[in-house]
Amino acid sequence: MTRSIKVNHLARVEGHGGVTVEMDGRSVSSVRFDIFEGARLLEALARGRHYTDVPQIVSRICAICSVSHSISSIKATESAFGVTPTPQTELLRDLLYRGEDIESHSLHVFCLAVPDYLNYPSVVALAADHPDAARLGLRLKKLGNTIQEVIGGRAVHPVNVLVGGFGKLPTADQLMALRDELHQAAEDSKSVVDLIASLPPADYCSKDTVFAALRPKQFGYGYYSGDQIHVRLNGKTEAVPAAEYRSLANERAVPHSHAKHSQYKGRPFMVGALARLTVNSDLLNGSVADVKQKFGLNLPSGNPMDNNKAQALELVYDIHRSLETVEKLLADGLREEAPVPVRPKAGSGTGVTEAPRGMLVHSYSFDGQGRLATADVITPTAFNAASVEEHLRRAVEQNAGDDDAALTKKLEMIVRAYDPCISCSVHLVRRRNAP
Amino acid sequence: MAKPTLGVFGLTGCAGDQLVILNCEDELLELTELVDIKDFLMASSGNDTSCQLDVALVDGAVLSQRDEDMLKRIRERSRLLVALGTCAVWGGVASLDRNQDRTRLLEDVYGEMGKKYDSLPARALHEVVNVDLSITGCPIEKDQLISAVASLLQGDPPLYPKYPVCTECRMREYNCLLIERGEICCGPLTVAGCQARCPGLNVPCVGCRGPADDANVESAMNMFGEKGIPREEIAAKLRTFAPAWGVNV
Repeated sequence: MTRSIKVNHLARVEGHGGVTVEMDGRSVSSVRFDIFEGARLLEALARGRHYTDVPQIVSRICAICSVSHSISSIKATESAFGVTPTPQTELLRDLLYRGEDIESHSLHVFCLAVPDYLNYPSVVALAADHPDAARLGLRLKKLGNTIQEVIGGRAVHPVNVLVGGFGKLPTADQLMALRDELHQAAEDSKSVVDLIASLPPADYCSKDTVFAALRPKQFGYGYYSGDQIHVRLNGKTEAVPAAEYRSLANERAVPHSHAKHSQYKGRPFMVGALARLTVNSDLLNGSVADVKQKFGLNLPSGNPMDNNKAQALELVYDIHRSLETVEKLLADGLREEAPVPVRPKAGSGTGVTEAPRGMLVHSYSFDGQGRLATADVITPTAFNAASVEEHLRRAVEQNAGDDDAALTKKLEMIVRAYDPCISCSVHLVRRRNAP
Repeated sequence: MAKPTLGVFGLTGCAGDQLVILNCEDELLELTELVDIKDFLMASSGNDTSCQLDVALVDGAVLSQRDEDMLKRIRERSRLLVALGTCAVWGGVASLDRNQDRTRLLEDVYGEMGKKYDSLPARALHEVVNVDLSITGCPIEKDQLISAVASLLQGDPPLYPKYPVCTECRMREYNCLLIERGEICCGPLTVAGCQARCPGLNVPCVGCRGPADDANVESAMNMFGEKGIPREEIAAKLRTFAPAWGVNV
């Protein structure tokens, strides 16, 4: 008997995507993570533009990851022109990424994922019965936005980030207000831990999983610094220099899907919070030592639902780390400095950073006038697409006895746990036409 | 009286304007007491996808047949349709390619497969359906969104400035980046409402809000000319976010 399951339009994810499963008896004949977001072709449109225009254009690939797109772009450009930002600029960028991570994780964990575990359709519905949990999530989300406003100039599509530095530095007053909010958030983070630790277990598709994440070079566990990608495969870590990112993006056509799939040595791999924790947990400091245990998070975990817990852990960590950074900035005082002078030259560069939902690559080449000649952007959701399908296939095999509604809910929860950003993904993934 | 019904929809774009709605952290739960959000796919499952709506907020531009069909369907079921953000109001960054060969662009990014995609040149919502209210910005400003909701609840359209960013910038006494540094600042031509955020950060305006009705285009062009900035360069910069600026090159 054949059976098919179709989610035409995934809710509570960013962008337009779906899931299609075809089964023959208990065997799964095809599983597809469909993407039917329109193509905006921004890489092609940015070509020929002066390097100063590029971050503002590519930022528009995705609103939720707009800091990551802007700064990966800047990192690629600085690498191409041989520009070294000052240590103060690097520290502020590191803090800005934590703001983006706090905002995005609060949105995903509280507004998109937690309602699944507690059987609500949205955070608004959740708020009716659990007002404290909903308000906690929104409060932390706002904190993430405040950090992005103070450092990046705007919560969505930062305007203050430039090749070589910042347009304007935050004032001491702004940092002091931020410090107060972070103190409150540090208190709040205890409630985050309690809430996440109390969620019912969810395990529908565990399997041996390969992970990839940027290895931070400074500022401890984080999302901005570094130029080496670490891949955890069969219990071993392999290092790939950022400039050789193509060895993780050797797209392969697969018979059941038109989507290009990223693989490393023939294996799909997962990027995102769970991948970062798996690869970089030695860089976490003591502030979250007991959180992993309270969440029952045993690494490495091949259960993608654990990505929700990993995000919650990063959320707690980022709050503490951001507080330390702001206190350090206030103690040392900000040095007034203009952006480092930039002398454009022909060349190429790659910028890899960690967007909230995983590793993001911008790789550019420029002509001698500093105009963009080629651009290659690979987003976390594009890296994840093959791994999502692998986990969906496993879930269908393991839960074939479920009725359609129960199985559909599990499949949706798995896709959502990856925190996909479908607007982003169209820049690499080959799309199928909408149903 | 029943609460007014609201739908929030995204066509092709970065979802930034829907994100600004979710970024109203202090107002979001209060807002849901005043309006009944029936259909908001990015934030909720279990939506009513066929009911009549008093207000539909739509972000993104029309870039595919699928977008066009979806927008027409939203128009049919909504009393008021609001274009949210520069993509919806003007076409946005994706409309950069209006003068380029779309088939070639698709092939550039997607290879041979590009030919098969459902992909159309970017259009603003008003080029496809009747639009009742436009809230521009990339992304929209939170205070303009909230004032729009408050005004619509009272039955009035909100009032937005028609003057350029330049006016806001002078009111705040920021240094003029065009006059003092000779940088290409789109502030004289771009519609206000952002409180001149970028010039306030020593960063020139990139025109992300689209054209101002009351801009004095010729005087601005003369000012650029005096600084030795070629017209083509300004036009290219302006086209980043909106295709139509009334600037002849």
